[in-house]
Amino acid sequence: MPPRFVALLAACAFAALPALAAAPELQLVIRDHLFFPSVLEVPAGVKVRIVIDNQDPTPEEFESYELNREKVIPGNTKTVVFIGPLAPGEYPFFGEFNVRTAQGKVIAR
Amino acid sequence: MFLDALILILQEIIEATLLISILLVLGKAMQRLWPETAALGVYWVLPALGCGLAGALLYGWAMPVTSTWFDYAGYEVLNALMQASIIVLLPCLLLLRPAQASARRVAVAKVGMIAVVALGIVREGSEIILYLSGVLGQGGNITPVTLGGLMAAGIGCASALLLYYFLNALPARLALRSALVLLALFAGNMASQAALLLTQADWLPYTPEVWNSTELLSEQDIAGQLLYALIGYEANPSWVQVGVYAAVALLVAAMPLFRLAWGPNLKEA
Repeated sequence: MPPRFVALLAACAFAALPALAAAPELQLVIRDHLFFPSVLEVPAGVKVRIVIDNQDPTPEEFESYELNREKVIPGNTKTVVFIGPLAPGEYPFFGEFNVRTAQGKVIAR
Repeated sequence: MFLDALILILQEIIEATLLISILLVLGKAMQRLWPETAALGVYWVLPALGCGLAGALLYGWAMPVTSTWFDYAGYEVLNALMQASIIVLLPCLLLLRPAQASARRVAVAKVGMIAVVALGIVREGSEIILYLSGVLGQGGNITPVTLGGLMAAGIGCASALLLYYFLNALPARLALRSALVLLALFAGNMASQAALLLTQADWLPYTPEVWNSTELLSEQDIAGQLLYALIGYEANPSWVQVGVYAAVALLVAAMPLFRLAWGPNLKEA
C-alpha cells in the first residue's frame, strides 16, 4: 500500500478514537425493594452505562416509559443497561415487580 | 397487591393471547375459503401452550446465568433472538396455500405455528414466572397474587375470544385479510421490540425519536397498552425501531399468501 494511504488510514483511526471512549458508568443498587440512589444525575447528550446490582433475593424489573427501557434482573445478580444520549430533563423509572416502593428518576443536565 | 399482580400479568399475557387469536382466525378463514385444504385448525394451540409453559419455566430458571452472557446483555440478546425466530418462522404459513397443501406440509406448518406461539409464551411467561417466584420467595400472601393472575388470564382469554369471534363473523375474505394485516403488524411489533432491546444493550446505536405522542396517547393508559400489545404502539419510538418495524411488516406482507388474499379468485365456499 502506498505510504500516503497508510498515513491517511492511521489519521482516520486516531480521529475515531474519541468515539471508542467508554460511556460513563453509574451504579444503581436495589435493596429492600428500593433504588439506591433514587435520583441519578447524568450528563445530557451522552450515552451512559448503568450497572444495576439487585441485592434483594427476589427478582426486579427495571422499567421506564420515558427512557424506553425494560429489563428483568434476577435476585442477587448484577446487570447492565445503557441509556441516552438524553435531552436535559427528568426521566422517572420504577421497579415493576415492587412498583409502590421501587421508584426513582434520572436527571440529565 | 391484587391490582399490581393483575396489571403486570395481564401486560405479559395479552400479547400471547392476541397472537393465538390471530393465528386461529387465519386458520379458520383459510378453511372457509379453501375447504379442500386442511387448514390450521384449533388443536395445535394445546401443544403450543404446553411447550411454551415448559420453555418459560426453563428460561426463567436459567435466567440468573443467561443474563450474564454477552457482557450482561444476555437478557436482551436472547429475547431479541426469540423475537427474530418468531418472524423467521412465519413463512411456514405459506405451506397452507391451496396449491401447496399436502398432509405433510400442513403438519410442518402446524409445527411452525406451535413454535411461534411457544416462543412468544417463553418470552412473556418467563417474566411472569420470575415475578411469581419473587412473591413466593418473600413469603408474601399468595392469594391476592393468584387471584390477580387468574383474573388477568381471564381477561386475556376473553379479549382473544372476542377478537376471534368478531373477525370470524366477517365474510371469509375480509376475515383472512384482517388476520393477515394484523399478522404483518405483529411481526413489525416483534422486530421493533427486538431493536429496542438491542439498543438497550448497546448492540444497536442510539437514534433520535421519530415522534413523541405521550400527550395524545400514553403507553401507560389502558388504550395505549392494548395498542402496544396488538400492533406495537410506542409513544416515543426511535428511528431504528420505526425503520425495522416498517421493513419487517412489509417483508411479511410480501408473502404470496397476501397476494392470494387480495387476488381475484377468492370465493367463500
